[in-house]
Amino acid sequence: MRPRFVILLVAVTALLAIVPIVGSPVMVQFGISTLLFAVLAQSWNIIGGFTGYPSFGNSVFYGLGVYGTAIAMAKFSLPFGVGLVCGAILAMLCALLIGLPVLRLRGQYFAIATLGLSVAMAAVFSNIEIAGANIGLILPLTRADGMFYELSLGLLVACVLCVFWISRSRFGMGLIAIREDEHAAASMGVNTTLYKTMALVLSALFTSIAGGIHAYFITFVDPASAFDSTLNVRMVIMTVFGGPGTVLGPVVGAFVLSAVYELLANWISTAAALLFGVVIVVAVIFMPRGIADLAAGIRRQGISYLLQNIRRYRL
Amino acid sequence: MLLAQIIVNGVLLGGLYGLMALGMALVWGVLNIVNLAHGAFVMLGGYIVYYLFTTLGIDPLAALPIAMALMFAFGYLLQYVVLNQIIRSAMLNTLLITFGLDVVLTYLAQLGFSADFRTIAPSYAGANFGLLGITVPVAPLAAFAIAWLLAGLTWLLLNRLPLGRAIRATAQNLVAARLYGVNPRRLYAVTFGIGAALAGASGGLYGMISHLSPYVGAPLTAKAFVIAVIGGLHNPFAVVASGLIIGIAESLAALYVGPTYANVISFGLLVLILVLRPSRALRAA
Amino acid sequence: MNASSITSPATGMAPLLQTQDITKRFQGLVSVNHVSFDLNDGEILALIGPNGAGKTTLVNLISGTLPPSEGELRFQGTRIDTLPTYRRARLGIARTFQVMKPFRDLTALDNVATAALFGQRGGATTRQAAREDARKWLDFTGLGHRADQRADALGGPDLKRLELAKALAQRPKLLLLDEVMAGLNAVEIDEVVEVIKQIRDSGVTILIVEHVMKAVRSLADRVVVLHHGELIAQGNAETVFQDPRVVEAYLGKRRA
Repeated sequence: MRPRFVILLVAVTALLAIVPIVGSPVMVQFGISTLLFAVLAQSWNIIGGFTGYPSFGNSVFYGLGVYGTAIAMAKFSLPFGVGLVCGAILAMLCALLIGLPVLRLRGQYFAIATLGLSVAMAAVFSNIEIAGANIGLILPLTRADGMFYELSLGLLVACVLCVFWISRSRFGMGLIAIREDEHAAASMGVNTTLYKTMALVLSALFTSIAGGIHAYFITFVDPASAFDSTLNVRMVIMTVFGGPGTVLGPVVGAFVLSAVYELLANWISTAAALLFGVVIVVAVIFMPRGIADLAAGIRRQGISYLLQNIRRYRL
Repeated sequence: MLLAQIIVNGVLLGGLYGLMALGMALVWGVLNIVNLAHGAFVMLGGYIVYYLFTTLGIDPLAALPIAMALMFAFGYLLQYVVLNQIIRSAMLNTLLITFGLDVVLTYLAQLGFSADFRTIAPSYAGANFGLLGITVPVAPLAAFAIAWLLAGLTWLLLNRLPLGRAIRATAQNLVAARLYGVNPRRLYAVTFGIGAALAGASGGLYGMISHLSPYVGAPLTAKAFVIAVIGGLHNPFAVVASGLIIGIAESLAALYVGPTYANVISFGLLVLILVLRPSRALRAA
Repeated sequence: MNASSITSPATGMAPLLQTQDITKRFQGLVSVNHVSFDLNDGEILALIGPNGAGKTTLVNLISGTLPPSEGELRFQGTRIDTLPTYRRARLGIARTFQVMKPFRDLTALDNVATAALFGQRGGATTRQAAREDARKWLDFTGLGHRADQRADALGGPDLKRLELAKALAQRPKLLLLDEVMAGLNAVEIDEVVEVIKQIRDSGVTILIVEHVMKAVRSLADRVVVLHHGELIAQGNAETVFQDPRVVEAYLGKRRA
């Protein structure tokens, strides 16, 4: 990576870090949710973008992070940090346990099996007494949006650095090999089972911490919103929009789409969902490889890149 | 007797679920598209029948063919104009674009039809008759019969007509099919249209035995997906039959462990089948 | 039929690979039926037979892509038939795929670099080293000039070369080549034959599955013939090609 680009990234991060000092409360709150979305997209990128396993079970990890933190804080009066660790351990154990059987499935089958797990998990948690069953849990109230913001930013930086490492490491090359062709990967010596499982566990780690932060931020958790599979769909959309299997694509995707959605909601609140759907459809047609590839392609060959994409993927 | 009644209810409902899955399985098997907007198609079909019945007074069963024709045209155009453009890109992209379509259709339905619950209620909607001490409701029975009828027609189409042979050949080998003079763009559009038409028919029937709202789509997509996986993608009768499994399982679950578990049961079954018999699932892929 | 009738070379060392009564059934269909043969250190063994004889299945059984239904596999004297694919690769077994499996989103160079990073233990450990290694193997297989192109931009013959380069980058002891010459023209075949000879001379033992008989004659130290999953003949090329059972398998009963 060129030094100028690194300086630019550090500058952007520094700029983001001073938002709570100079920005309005609304801006900080928007920032928190956007940063957390970027973490979720980036975590999904590890299993979905690099490894090629389209997980719809990341909302399970998110929900476990939410509940792990909430139960620790509301029921056992443990500090926030301990809560986050509880949630993360819970989610990583879950990734390990479900990973071994479910990662034997491929493609759409993996997608739907993991979707099934997230539906099941919601039902299970609405029957667990200590998790507040159907009603949910209330966490102690804090007014520390600045802290939540910086925490989210820190988590995002850690997550991006982790993915950067993956993109440069032997481990990451193994994951990419699995994505491209699992049989070929195994026959050249990649321990596919171990690698896939580790990718899922890493993905679960960051996802669950994001869930824990969000739980304490909104101070209320219930099964329906903790295990919401549309949240998972948003992770996928943001990643694919930005560029799956790239280091910065998912973050850019999350920032752009959050901003677009926010603008649409302010401008024409009633049709925001409609336009959101249209944006997805148009984006998939014109940039099926995400913003990351779009940027590179336009620099290389200008506007004809768009048409070339269509020509390449149409029937 | 209660158990028998529950099973009968489950079987009748399951036939309809099977019909919903039929269109999805066809499109998936031939075009390799998992259509996340399939449930929205079902919803649209339901509203078409609803409005034909309430504004023009056309009997819902007579309105079914009209709804199917409209949905066919809709599906044909959608595939020809939009989906054919991206069909060769990554599987995630087709998932995303159909998800986007689902969002758009749901929103438009909310705008056009309002969020109120609607039921298609012809005079015979609530009718039933007794058989060996079991109450058999007429509307679900009709839905059940029509599901099998349409499965039979789909089977005939795929196995006995030249169009069906072309569809199956394309599913197996696009390049070879092209050499034999098949126009894949049009054929894909026709197949997607048939899938939409089947969804439309199931929507009309669903509106008679349950409620329509703009939001019924997503859970029905999930259910259709589960059934398509269990039934495989190639035999229409197997698809409808696996609808029965889900119908019965859900009815039993609703009775014995509570209605909130209905979805858990069908997804639990799915995960179990996938994990225990992955080879079968993978062959279908 | 008797595997032990072909003895190991005079060195007295155990063969590199031994297959013993190896059998694969697919739901009642026997694809490979009690096949036993040895593969000696440093030789080129050609596995031939009509279409559907079970050759690719046998390669899949050796590489671990498929588990055997019965029988034993030994590599350098140790049982490998229960090891997962990647462990066999790390012991030094590399293969090419008949239906080529390039990593389409990666450049040719990164395809091979990935193989160099994994493969047998003790190779490249950094991506930089792996890439340098990869460039060497691409040059060796005649693909050096296309190193920076994405694999999905390569044509059939180049993909065959890529498969070979990936297998070589694993620094194997045993190389399984599944129809690397299919679809190549006469000139390209001669090139690949030369490359394979060089590989053998560098000390790699090779099992080739091949339909191009000219190549089999000029390469193979020994030939094993499969027909309907059964081993019907083995020996040097000239003897095997004159074996009436082999002629019958290839030409059908009536003409034999």
